[in-house]
Amino acid sequence: MSLNKIKAILLHELYVTKYSVEVINDIILFPLFSIIVFGFMTLYMAGFAGEVIAQHVLTGMILWQVINITQYSIAVGCLWDVWSRNLTNIFITPITTVEYLISYLISGAFKSLFVLIFASIMSNYIFKFNILNLGIANIVIYFIILTVFAFSFAIIVLGLIFRLGTRAQALSWGLLNIFQPLMAVIYPASILPVPFRTIAYMLPPTYIFEAARASINNKIIRWDYIGMALILDIIFLIVAITVFNLLFESSKKSGQFARLET
Amino acid sequence: MNVFEIKKLTKKFGRALAVNNISFALKKGEILGLLGPNGAGKTTTIQMLLGITTPDSGQILYFGKEFFSNKGDCLSRINYASAFNTLQGRETVSENLTISALLYEVTDYKKKIKELVNYFGMSELVNARYNNLSSGEKTRTNLIKALLNSPEILLLDEPTASLDPDIADKTLQMIEKLRADHKVSILYTSHNMKEVDRICDRVIFLNHGKIEAEDTPLNLTKRIDEASLRLTYDAKQILVKSYLEKNKHKYKFEGDDTVIIETKEKHIANIIFGLSGENVWITNIEIEKPTLEDVFIKISRNK
Repeated sequence: MSLNKIKAILLHELYVTKYSVEVINDIILFPLFSIIVFGFMTLYMAGFAGEVIAQHVLTGMILWQVINITQYSIAVGCLWDVWSRNLTNIFITPITTVEYLISYLISGAFKSLFVLIFASIMSNYIFKFNILNLGIANIVIYFIILTVFAFSFAIIVLGLIFRLGTRAQALSWGLLNIFQPLMAVIYPASILPVPFRTIAYMLPPTYIFEAARASINNKIIRWDYIGMALILDIIFLIVAITVFNLLFESSKKSGQFARLET
Repeated sequence: MNVFEIKKLTKKFGRALAVNNISFALKKGEILGLLGPNGAGKTTTIQMLLGITTPDSGQILYFGKEFFSNKGDCLSRINYASAFNTLQGRETVSENLTISALLYEVTDYKKKIKELVNYFGMSELVNARYNNLSSGEKTRTNLIKALLNSPEILLLDEPTASLDPDIADKTLQMIEKLRADHKVSILYTSHNMKEVDRICDRVIFLNHGKIEAEDTPLNLTKRIDEASLRLTYDAKQILVKSYLEKNKHKYKFEGDDTVIIETKEKHIANIIFGLSGENVWITNIEIEKPTLEDVFIKISRNK
């Protein structure tokens, strides 16, 4: 593992983000405005549904951004190089796939942490909701589990783009949204119809959102949920790495990887 | 000494055989031209040499080591530039070069970048966005990027494509200087036969994924023994015509005092002496010998 190569990709990410209004909009402004919209909705909901329900919604939306931003950052970060026909220049250097993906994991995690902190401060001042009430240790655990899940999800998307070409690029910003209703972000999984609930309980974030709601409701830490999320996260990560490797190798074998930029 | 060697390399895409059992080597300090019509397999070969396309069979050796099992080590000693790959357009020249230098783990990379930027006359443009550069400036930046790790092998895929003749000439001068100054071995692809003739020591012609010819540019042109002889004379045209008819030469008159004769190179002397013997006073002789472009067309059309 080379720190120089990781530093190179992190610098690359920093420069692209710095110069791209689209990136700033997608990973900073748009998530913050989503939180503002949901924040006002929670103020409205608190009037008739109660403050706790409103807190569930806002907590869910803030934590959701960790998955959303990390996943988007990794998958779209790579697409920026495809669009600028620069991907080959990176993959013909001695950088390993592991170094490349770890760099994007760090970059994605940093961006989502930045938004998480900013959104927390904002929701505290505007909506009088302090996410730190969940407990700092809890938030750190939630953040790690959600980031790892987002990373797993992103590298599968990346593998699909490598294998299928840029016609699959919409998966970078679209696929996660298909799974969002199943992850019980702002409502309990128990309200989902049974088949969907079964799928929901196969996804690590469902347990994290459930644990966060339990923490708001009863001020307790649901270690059972956290433990389950962690186990599923590890399984997802192993599956994702395997799938990514298969898709990446298949892309190089079919010639699709080299054709990505044409 | 060979710096890289390809052995029986084959690549199929579906039913199409893109590269068909090719073997060749690049010697230290050599510029080897890889030529062929579109779809001949040049780009696929380069992609396999860079490790971004996996061969179906065959072997690639860099510096005597198997490429795919020593990928990191091999890639750190080679580099690539192409007119078809660009750097990140939103980043400045300096930012792009810093990232590349870090990826190659270049020691004292700031000094190296400064040296190369000066060498290629780009010092005024280091803070310009890559997207805002002209084609020639982009080509020079790509070449700087390709030299950051002081590569022993450089793969250049049509580096002068889309450049105007002046910038293309300057780019070729830079490549020639690179070889002279740094003893870099270069695999060079281009559709411009004049520049291949100018800078390549040896040429490989690929067609339908197979090596059709491999030799020096001069020897390749010698394979076509036809030449075009343009004679200007001071005599009656009928004398010239009857001699050429009698000896069954292909010819075409260009005005009253000039004739173009298509013939074998070995017959040129006979034609000149023959016409002189017929009291035709030849005032000017021009011989147009086959070029690498003629060889290219002949091989491409499977003549």
